[in-house]
Amino acid sequence: MIHAQLAPRQTVLCADGPVKSGLTDRQLCDEATGWSRRATHSPFDAPAHGMPVNSRKDSPSTLRRVATPGSRAADPTVAPEHPPESGPTPPSRATRRRVGSLELAVAGITALLLAQRLTGGWTAPAWMQTWTTVFVAICVQALPFLLFGTVLSAAIAAFVPASFLQRALPRNPLLAVPVAGVAGVVLPGCECASVPVADRLIARGVAPAAALAFLLSSPAINPVVLAATAVAFRGHPEMVLARFLASLGTAVVMGLLWERFGRPEWLRPKVRRDVPPGSGRFAVFRATLEHDLLHAGGFLVIGGITAATLNVLVPRAVLKGAAGLPAVSVLVLALLAVVLAVCSEADAFVAASLSVFPPAARLAFMVVGPMVDTKLIALQAGTFGRAFAWRFSAATFLVAIAASALIGWWLL
Amino acid sequence: MRREVRAILLVLLGTALLRISLFSDSYLRYVRAALRPYLIATGAVLVLLGVASAIATVQALRADPDQAHAAADDHGGDHGHGHHGGPGIAWLLTLPVLAIVLIAPPALGSYTAQRSESTTVKPAGAQPTFPPLPAGDPLTMTLGSFDVRAVWDTAAPLRGRRVRLTGFVTAGKGGGWYLTRLTISCCAADALASKVEIRGAAANPAPPAGSWVEVIGTWLPDGKEAEPDTIPLLTAAQVTRIPEPKDPYE
Repeated sequence: MIHAQLAPRQTVLCADGPVKSGLTDRQLCDEATGWSRRATHSPFDAPAHGMPVNSRKDSPSTLRRVATPGSRAADPTVAPEHPPESGPTPPSRATRRRVGSLELAVAGITALLLAQRLTGGWTAPAWMQTWTTVFVAICVQALPFLLFGTVLSAAIAAFVPASFLQRALPRNPLLAVPVAGVAGVVLPGCECASVPVADRLIARGVAPAAALAFLLSSPAINPVVLAATAVAFRGHPEMVLARFLASLGTAVVMGLLWERFGRPEWLRPKVRRDVPPGSGRFAVFRATLEHDLLHAGGFLVIGGITAATLNVLVPRAVLKGAAGLPAVSVLVLALLAVVLAVCSEADAFVAASLSVFPPAARLAFMVVGPMVDTKLIALQAGTFGRAFAWRFSAATFLVAIAASALIGWWLL
Repeated sequence: MRREVRAILLVLLGTALLRISLFSDSYLRYVRAALRPYLIATGAVLVLLGVASAIATVQALRADPDQAHAAADDHGGDHGHGHHGGPGIAWLLTLPVLAIVLIAPPALGSYTAQRSESTTVKPAGAQPTFPPLPAGDPLTMTLGSFDVRAVWDTAAPLRGRRVRLTGFVTAGKGGGWYLTRLTISCCAADALASKVEIRGAAANPAPPAGSWVEVIGTWLPDGKEAEPDTIPLLTAAQVTRIPEPKDPYE
């Protein structure tokens, strides 16, 4: 939403920018802002983003925020009503603030180094150490996959023409969704990698239903995860097949559900920059990667905090009571998958260890885990918006349980 | 978040990753050894990305100071996640950096193990078959494989064999103590405990909880029913305090 009221100012500032070395002022501006969010009403916004822009929703908030005293949009130096005056005044102020921010960062690093010396002899209480270990472990473990996903996403933004992706998938969504679901086989990562990639696919014009099917299927049915499942359930190849079928089935059903019932406004009406023709591909790649990585990384931290807290709080012994009741046990392990937020490449080992539970319940753990968990909900909320994340996660949770119960009853 | 700060944050995050993976072995407290090359690569890419970002910022400043000043105050990360006007979500990435640098959290240990059951997964098949135990006296085993053989191997090849096990000490039920080791399959969030109850004269007095010990002893069959949470017994002949191993997990 906020881009709606910020963009006029950026447009004003960019309009003053000179044309340099083959780059247009627009591209320079984009580059200088790192990742500009354009006005929803900007003439530069091509409608081919796969999502209709919800201007009805944005306009009132724009008005409200501009009128709010003290909000940035109402800052007199940047208010869009005074474009000519805003030119000469801000530089001195901006310079001052920029130096302040840098000094702050340097001071922060110095304080960090000092504090490190000081805390050398201090030992945190056991629960806090455990929490921190799990938190750091989740972040450290996920970062390579997140980087992989954002690099792929930035590469799609910079190097793959939108027309290619649109041609690659069938036009009919009834066909595109299963094709995209099966295409999940090719992304050998865990769920952290698939969120930025799916986001980018939507931005590049892939139908959201197909991109969402890909989002759900890729962390569950790629070869690395299936191989890990086969190792964890040695001697039970039917478990690998069951996981593949239940995960793919859930992804396709969710894609079709989105096609039938999904509303575009649930997805955040994000207005994006497409690759400007003829601009430096590497510059676009770098700016996209930096933005996506920092943004998704922040939400990964939220997910890590949630998962670490629940991980430390929920003793696994509590679960044992539910093991005897088949229907309850499926639900309990599905909830456990949401709570623990174990990476999809490792969840098979955890599922195998929950051997007091019936196979269908362990299947539910492996089907739900890569699609809905605390870390993933935070990532999705940050990427697609909260309105989307809770609806989509709740629906996926139910569909995944149904698929696991059905496939588990049939195969296991 | 401003561009310069973003560059610094990327470099900090990359440095923190390199610090635990390239310049020390402390990554083993959090993830499996197999992840090391990926951590090093990620750290290096993050540092390079931060440097590239800094260069781009300087270039933008040189090209047009006025524009860069004004535009540098951009709003990346502010779009619609409820932090309007507040700091970008990316600031949260300082938390893992701070945790790694300031707290340097230790490997999971007795606190976690105390709160989890011993988990010995039953191998596949109704009557699982095992290869014969390797030679060696004492035979060095992981706690996990000792537990599997003691609980599930009906041929009971451990009978009479001296074994050497390494783990840390957790308090047991009824005054005894357990030799314990945690297993991780991906990261510390999925840690599972394997425990062995240590009996015999050499087991007294119990070493302090959390300390690392090497135990040489013989399996003590107790005829208990095999369950995934069965804790086998070991008669210790020798208990030696050792420093924490480089990789604290199995």
